[in-house]
Amino acid sequence: MMLTLLMGLPLLGALALLLFPPAKAKLVALWGAGIPLLWTLWLFSQFDISNSQFQWSEAGAWLPVLGLNYELGMDGLGLLMVALNTLLTWIAIYSARSEIERPRLFYSLMLITSSVISGSFIAQNFLLFFLFYEACLIPLYLLINIWGGEKRSYAATKFLIYTAISGALILISGFGLLWLGGAEDFSYAALADNSLSLKWQVLLLVPLAIGFGIKVPMVPLHTWLPDTYVAASTPVAILLGGVLAKLGTYGLLRFGLSLLPDGWAVVAPWIATWAAITIIYCAFLAIVQQDLKRMVAYSSVSHMGYVLLGSAAGNNLSLSGCIAQMMAHGLVLAILFHLVGVIEAKVGSRDLDQLNGLMNPVRGLPFVSAMLVLGAMASAGIPGLVNFAAEFAVFQGSYRVFPLQTLVGIVGTGLTAVYFVILLNRTCFGRLDSKRAYFPKVSFNEKAPALVLAVLIVVLGVQPNWLMRWSEPTEVKTVVIVPGEHNVSLRDIGGLLLGDSSL
Amino acid sequence: MSTTITATLPPSSHVHADVIHRLEAGGSMLPDTPENLMQVIGIYKAYAVPMDFYWRDLLYIAERVFLKPLPLFKYFISKEYLDRHNTYSGDQSPLRVWRGGGEAHPELLEFMAKGESGRKRPRLLHHLGHDRINMEFAEACMRAMFWHVDINPKFNAYLYSDAYKAAADKAIKAYFKGNWAVLGLYKLFPDMFMEQVRQLSYYANLGLFWEVMAPVFFEMSDIYDEGGFATVSDAMDFLVNGIFAVAGRPIYHHVYIGDECFEIIPKSAGMTWLYEAALPYVEAVFYRTTPFRGTKSYDAQAQQVPGEQSDFHYGILYADVFPVGSAGIPPTLLMQDMLHFLPPYLQEYYQEYCRGEDDQLIQLGITFQRSMYNVTSAVIQALRAALYYPLDDPNPQHRQANRRFFEEQMDRLTRSEARLQDIQTADYR
Repeated sequence: MMLTLLMGLPLLGALALLLFPPAKAKLVALWGAGIPLLWTLWLFSQFDISNSQFQWSEAGAWLPVLGLNYELGMDGLGLLMVALNTLLTWIAIYSARSEIERPRLFYSLMLITSSVISGSFIAQNFLLFFLFYEACLIPLYLLINIWGGEKRSYAATKFLIYTAISGALILISGFGLLWLGGAEDFSYAALADNSLSLKWQVLLLVPLAIGFGIKVPMVPLHTWLPDTYVAASTPVAILLGGVLAKLGTYGLLRFGLSLLPDGWAVVAPWIATWAAITIIYCAFLAIVQQDLKRMVAYSSVSHMGYVLLGSAAGNNLSLSGCIAQMMAHGLVLAILFHLVGVIEAKVGSRDLDQLNGLMNPVRGLPFVSAMLVLGAMASAGIPGLVNFAAEFAVFQGSYRVFPLQTLVGIVGTGLTAVYFVILLNRTCFGRLDSKRAYFPKVSFNEKAPALVLAVLIVVLGVQPNWLMRWSEPTEVKTVVIVPGEHNVSLRDIGGLLLGDSSL
Repeated sequence: MSTTITATLPPSSHVHADVIHRLEAGGSMLPDTPENLMQVIGIYKAYAVPMDFYWRDLLYIAERVFLKPLPLFKYFISKEYLDRHNTYSGDQSPLRVWRGGGEAHPELLEFMAKGESGRKRPRLLHHLGHDRINMEFAEACMRAMFWHVDINPKFNAYLYSDAYKAAADKAIKAYFKGNWAVLGLYKLFPDMFMEQVRQLSYYANLGLFWEVMAPVFFEMSDIYDEGGFATVSDAMDFLVNGIFAVAGRPIYHHVYIGDECFEIIPKSAGMTWLYEAALPYVEAVFYRTTPFRGTKSYDAQAQQVPGEQSDFHYGILYADVFPVGSAGIPPTLLMQDMLHFLPPYLQEYYQEYCRGEDDQLIQLGITFQRSMYNVTSAVIQALRAALYYPLDDPNPQHRQANRRFFEEQMDRLTRSEARLQDIQTADYR
């Protein structure tokens, strides 16, 4: 019941919203998101860190004919992802404008989204995961389409199409796992106990990687993301970038790495190369952006490349960094999106050509600017902040296996510094234009989410072990042996798929 | 009056034609609204109180501190100078022009005693905590006047005259009498000492200028409180009349060493308040000044700093009043000084706009800018009256000459940094 409650509490919150007047909606929604957050904290206190198995497992038959059972469980990876989800849901709701239209519907959809995302992270049945994964689409589509900004319909439709394709590809892999692997149902344990040949593992990994690659997203499957993030309102962007993108990397770790380890070992060099290209390409795209939110969006894609690089390497250290990077990315992206939202609300623009001098202590947004500097520093991997430990572990772990791709990734961190220096220089520094600078004050309510995230970014940066220790048993369980001589060419993979098992 | 002018002269095609037409009608560059009047008078009062300290301390430094090698306590004005009676106001005034008292203003004395904190503490503690009148602004103005050498030809020529050098030499030797080390240094580097004395002469120059302005502003505030000014033009006319009333008063530099007075620039040198102090001050401080460190990054190689000093445009008429955040730069310090002495009606007014109390410094800075446009208008009208023709002169050629004069003045405010267009609306706060 503990995990059912985790999913159920936000749904109860969504239902409770119907009972209260719109004026109280935000408060109710905060409780609806706050109680699951507290519940998650309690789960942390109860989590057995020495146990690499899924904990608090729940199982119940649902549609056995389809292999769909209500199976839940949580390991270190799931715990961290759920924590990120519940925290960012609360932050996202807190950061929503109080004068938002149709507040009850808005907050209900936010809570439903949070609930199904939690469900995805704790599902122990592939089909159940898939249901949750797809169920996210509906509330998010509505959230983008109703409360989004300019081009919201276009962005929401694009998001829907891309994610639907992603779901279809993942489902193909899932059915492949079931039918070819000889499993009786879709439970993870049954799917893991497969006897798939290397050829089939690689074959199933391709749609899986593309499917989750859309969700992450990876270049060139990323084109939905900037439009969606930019069109989405701040709270939705926080959920999208902070949590939803993690479903992609979570899926790759949970299904690609865990269920198809031999295939993963073969395609890992290609995934690492894919990650390196994503890191560099999106960093360059971020550099040339004029829109603050779009720049952060491209930065997000670039940084998800580190997660993929770590997961490709598949060793303890890289996986530790990979999972930590998922958390770090969520926290940093959330603070950046929140701050961009505040700037847009106060200044009325996200255009880098129009923003200037926000650090001005009297008429500017000094607190927001200071937090933006912190967020940018964290994102650039400055020591003492949460991204540093995560990226360092990723690089150290992946360099042993993929030195070239890792070096490219390290160059990517330098490029992160470049575009964030551009962002800060144009936004925070310089002279505040006296013709424009009549911004309203930033209230405490607008500062609070950034403060909470900043504290976490600094504390987990100074003591990264508080972050990494939870996922250690999961990493041990998940480690795959990626070929030391990673000279697997496309021809080799092609040959493998055609029956040549010389690899 | 204005009807006659507009009927006979075609409208100006100048970019600031509206302002020029207003000046031709006897108005100010600042639009005539009750809100503007309230703001400028309120800020004159807030400016006058620290100014009452500035002029006393500037004269104290010029006349008493003089060449002290380490003038650590030059802002710790002596009682004698704090009690010094103003020449142009008060019962004991030798030439009473304005009705206010001649002593230091009571609000100034109270602030000096208790500071912003409202607690009586040793003056050194107030000073170190910057809980004081910030003389740095006054010194920055003085240095701007000193540095822009081309704007005060008569005064500067005198600073390099033999008479000045002889008087300064006498004062230097008297000041360092018995101090062979410094006198030896003076022998080796006479120009270094002489240049310091010239700077001190500018201390005196500015001190004497502000000795006039402080009671003017106090009286304007009093008149407004009594309901005396109805329009911005009334306030400007008061300034014009004040300028003419003291235009010929002497600018001098006396130094007191022991019981002896050294007249480095004697009153008989013929330096006058209007031409050797007021006009150079307006040019140096309102128009030119220098790029204050910290307000903006200037790239000289990209020609962001003009090659010619005469092209400098960093004065209050052009200033972007929003500080970047470098506390301690002179304009910010003036705003801080004025903040302590805002009249209640101005405080209430600022509460209603922008960020209320949180950005009063900026709001009052912009009010100050408005008020200085009004002062500059007074100077322009005074110059027009002195050099050209009456506004209601029936001769069209004379009115055309006036028009040309006003257009030339407005040409200086056509560059993008000028705030003339901004102050035309109430939204600029």
